[in-house]
This record gives sequence, structure tokens and C-alpha cells, in this order.
Amino acid sequence: MVLLLPLSHLMILAFPVRHDDSYRNAPFECCYNKSQRPLAGDVAQISKMKTFLKAIGNLFKKPVTTQYPFEQTYKPDDYRGLIGFNEDLCIWCRRCEVVCPPGAIVFSQDMEGKQTYHFNRAVCIYCGECVHTCPKEGAIFQTAEPAPCALKAENINNGWNKLYDEAIASREAYAAEKKRKTAEAAAQKAAEAAAAKAALAQQTEAEKTAAPKIQGE
Amino acid sequence: MARQYEIPVGAQHISLLEPLHFKFTTENEKIISTEANVYYVHRGIEQACCSKFKFRQVSFVVGRVCGLCSISHTTAYSQVAEKLLNIEIPKRAKYLRMLVIELDRIHSHLLCLSHVAENSGFEALFMKTMQYREFSMELLEAICGNRIQYDFSIVGGVSRDLKPDVADWVLKRLKTFVPELDELLDIYQNNWTLSLKNKGAGAINKETAKRLNVVGPFARAAGLAIDVRNETEDLLPWKEVGFEMVTETAGDVYARNILRLRELYISINIIQNVINGLPEGALVTETKAFPDGEAVVRLEAPRGELFYYAKGNKTQVLERLKIKAPTFSNVAGMVEAFTGNEYGSAAAIIASYDPCLSCTAR
Repeated sequence: MVLLLPLSHLMILAFPVRHDDSYRNAPFECCYNKSQRPLAGDVAQISKMKTFLKAIGNLFKKPVTTQYPFEQTYKPDDYRGLIGFNEDLCIWCRRCEVVCPPGAIVFSQDMEGKQTYHFNRAVCIYCGECVHTCPKEGAIFQTAEPAPCALKAENINNGWNKLYDEAIASREAYAAEKKRKTAEAAAQKAAEAAAAKAALAQQTEAEKTAAPKIQGE
Repeated sequence: MARQYEIPVGAQHISLLEPLHFKFTTENEKIISTEANVYYVHRGIEQACCSKFKFRQVSFVVGRVCGLCSISHTTAYSQVAEKLLNIEIPKRAKYLRMLVIELDRIHSHLLCLSHVAENSGFEALFMKTMQYREFSMELLEAICGNRIQYDFSIVGGVSRDLKPDVADWVLKRLKTFVPELDELLDIYQNNWTLSLKNKGAGAINKETAKRLNVVGPFARAAGLAIDVRNETEDLLPWKEVGFEMVTETAGDVYARNILRLRELYISINIIQNVINGLPEGALVTETKAFPDGEAVVRLEAPRGELFYYAKGNKTQVLERLKIKAPTFSNVAGMVEAFTGNEYGSAAAIIASYDPCLSCTAR
């Protein structure tokens, strides 16, 4: 019967039995007078028994702990759980990435300018700052679902560090490409404008040279 | 003269929750002098706050300084950042901060008490105290969405609102907690076996406590009326919600136990007043300013006065952040209070200081 009781109940049996003479050597003089000293008298014995009887009574009570794997523990409705993302609503402002304290969100970008959202549940501290900052409601949101454990196959630390660096590099590459294209376009435009200007100048020159002829005639 | 022995306790020891090293010099089992070494868990948080993180993110970083007084650290940082930004936060945010700080105080004090009982050899009382502590964790989870690491205070206000059904639940649960607290107070006050280990152990008198700059329950148990909640009114209106000073005179482990339990009645009172008088309004004051200048903030954490200093230079990243935790102020007093005690009661005395080494070493 005793073996069937939960461990927490058996622990209660470990009632304190310590050296009785410790109080004699303790420095009472600074604060306690003799009348306040603990006495091994009737009153003290009764109060000692009271706690003891209560502790014994605990043997016949149900355990107060939640039997976790068989019973769900308390979880509030607005528990700070996994961060969800809705790609259709996102306006790709990247503000969530900027405010995230541990850097658990990162956006990568391909050469066409299409951005992809990456989230690491092992880095996230579930503070909800991304949700508060998001200018578009519902694009990024917090669910009440706790994060599942990471598996070795996921390579969640080193894999994420690599992914993070790659994502930043992909954005830089896109920005550089964009800059190059813009510069190219601008150069082309400038060349065209210069050519047009030259043509115009030539034309006016021709007109100028032609005009005196008309005047002369 | 008897032979002297040096007995080390820590850095890893069965009675310690965190790495802490005490070197006792004993003579006939009596401690005659002590050396303490507290810097085992240094993580370089101050440097990280001034280099890697932006000032709005720092409130989440400093929340990770300590698991037990997470909300005290985030609130103190938020307040110092608000001073640098020169903004006033809404009154509702102030009230909600006080609510979570006091709930945190309940769970922190009960953890310390249970630890004292365990280190005094009273396992049954340890179990009982931890059983009664569980409700505060659930209430904090309902309010903040997490059992620890609340991330509740942010720069400019608080991150979540208190829902009406949660508020009702908090009041209901506090009502059932009061008889449980009475029972605990009865046991800690009157249990004879516990008093053998606690009465007169680790005593420090008022003059010594004042000279060594002791703070928190450690100082108040010695009769020194030190409480930041009693001194500052500008950041959080403590007196408005019914704060009262609690002091004991003896200054030993027993007095600290009783003081912590008596403080819980005040905390319950404050929480009830906060919920009943919760003002309406916004939760956050928005601003686009950058921190500039210097500021200092003091806040009463469960272990005593928490001190924050910050310096900004009109950029996203702070120039300097200094955290001084209550345990750091208490180290000198802790070393002093061991003198003259039995080595056998050292474990209970250490627990009764409620040392938080992660706060101290940052």
C-alpha cells in the first residue's frame, strides 16, 4: 500500500529531527530575552504535534500536483505561443525583423525581388513585439500553441545561423543588383538624353546656319 | 585555543540554488569568519545591452537577468528608459505594473520561505509552502501569458491588458490564499522544531545593518525601515494603493521568515486595491524620440532595492547601462551575520538571505 503512494507523500514522512542543543549555543542575547526562548513545555509540544498530525493527514489526501502526461496542466487562452504568419496580408515592410529582440525572424529575397519569411521557434522568446509593431493587422500573429521540441535533424542552431547569413546576403545581392540596374538604366537614359541634346543642338545649328541664308536672300 | 578549520560551501552545494561560494573559518563548529565569492554567473549582460541591442529591445534582455524578479528588472529598465525619453506613462500601465510586481513578490517570498524550511530540515513544510505558492504562478501565467519571463513591462507602458475574467479570478484566488497564509504564519511562528534551527540564527542588529548598507527583507527584519516603495512616489504610486511598512526587530532567520509572511498580507492588500481601483485608459505612451542624457531609477524588488543607471546619446543603442541588484548590497551583511553561529545552521541562514546570484553577477 505504501509503495503505491506518490513520492511526494513519502517525502512528508521525512520529519525534521535535528540536534536539540543548537538553540543553547545560538546568540540569543542580541534580540531575545529568556521568556521568548523556545521551551520544551506543554504549549510547544502541542504545536509540534499539530504540524505532525497535519503532515500525517496528508497521507490520506489526494495529490495536489497535476498528473501531467495523463492530465492537461493549466494553460490560459492567451498563452504566449508560436508566432504565425499570413503571407497574403504581409506588406513586406520588415518591421517585425527590426524589432525582434533575439533575431528570430528574417526575410530572404530572390533576384526578382520576391521575399520569403523565415522564423526560428528555438530562438524566439515569444514576447509578441513583432505582433505589436506590425502595421497590417493579421499579417503576423501569436497563437496559444506551445513550441514543439527541436529535433537533431532540423539542425536548428547552426542551420539557422547559416540561413540567417544567407538571407541577409541574398537581400544585399538583390539591392546591389537593383542598384546596378538602376545605374545602368540611368546611364542609358543619360546617354539617350545626351544624344537627343546633341541632335537638338545640331539641328538648331543647322537652322542657325540655314537662317542667314534665308535672311540673305 | 581550539584548532581552526576552514570549511568551504559551494560553488556547487546541495543547499544552494545558484553557484555561490562561502569559505567558513570554524572553531569548535562555530563560525568565526567568512569569505564570500559571488561572481560565478557573469554573462556580460550590461555590455550586450550597450552594444548588440536597441534600447527598446533591452527591456526583454534585462528580464533574463533573473528568473524570480524578472518583472522588477524589466520595470526598472522601462522606467529609466522613460526618464531618458522624457515621457509619462498612462496610469493604467502604472497600476498593472504594480499588480505584477506584487504577485511576483508573493511567489518569490514563498519560494524563499520554502527553501529556508528545506534547509532547516523540515521537508514537509517545504512541500506545503511550495503547494501554496503554485496559485501565484498560475495567476502570473494568466496575466502575462507565461509562468516566468513575463515580458510585461515595455518602454512606454505594458504589453498586455488585464482581462476582466482574469481580474475576477485573481481576487477570488487571493481570498482563498489568505487562510492558507494564516496557516503558514502559524507554522513558521509556532513550530518548535523549526524554531530550534531558526531562532537566533544568523542575527544581525540594526546598527550593523545600517553600517553595512543592507537592503530589503534582510534590513527590515533587523528593524531598519528601508523600502523604496515608502520613499518614491513619482514613478509608481505605492501609497495610493495601500502600501504599509513592515518591520521586525530580531534580525535573525526567524524574524526574516515572519517578516516575509507579514509582507505578503500587504501584497495581497495592494493587489486587491489595484484591481478594484484600476483606472481606464491607454496601455502605452507612443514616442519616436531617442534616449538622451542620464537617469537613475530605484525599485523595490522582492529582495530589496534594485538600482538602474542609464546613459543615452540620441541613438538607438544606449551608451551605458548599470544594474545594481539587491543581493550585491547585501553581501557585506551576509558575511557579517554568519559570525558566532553554528556551522550546522549555515544552510538555513544562506537560504534566509534569499541570495540571487544571477542578479548580482549579471
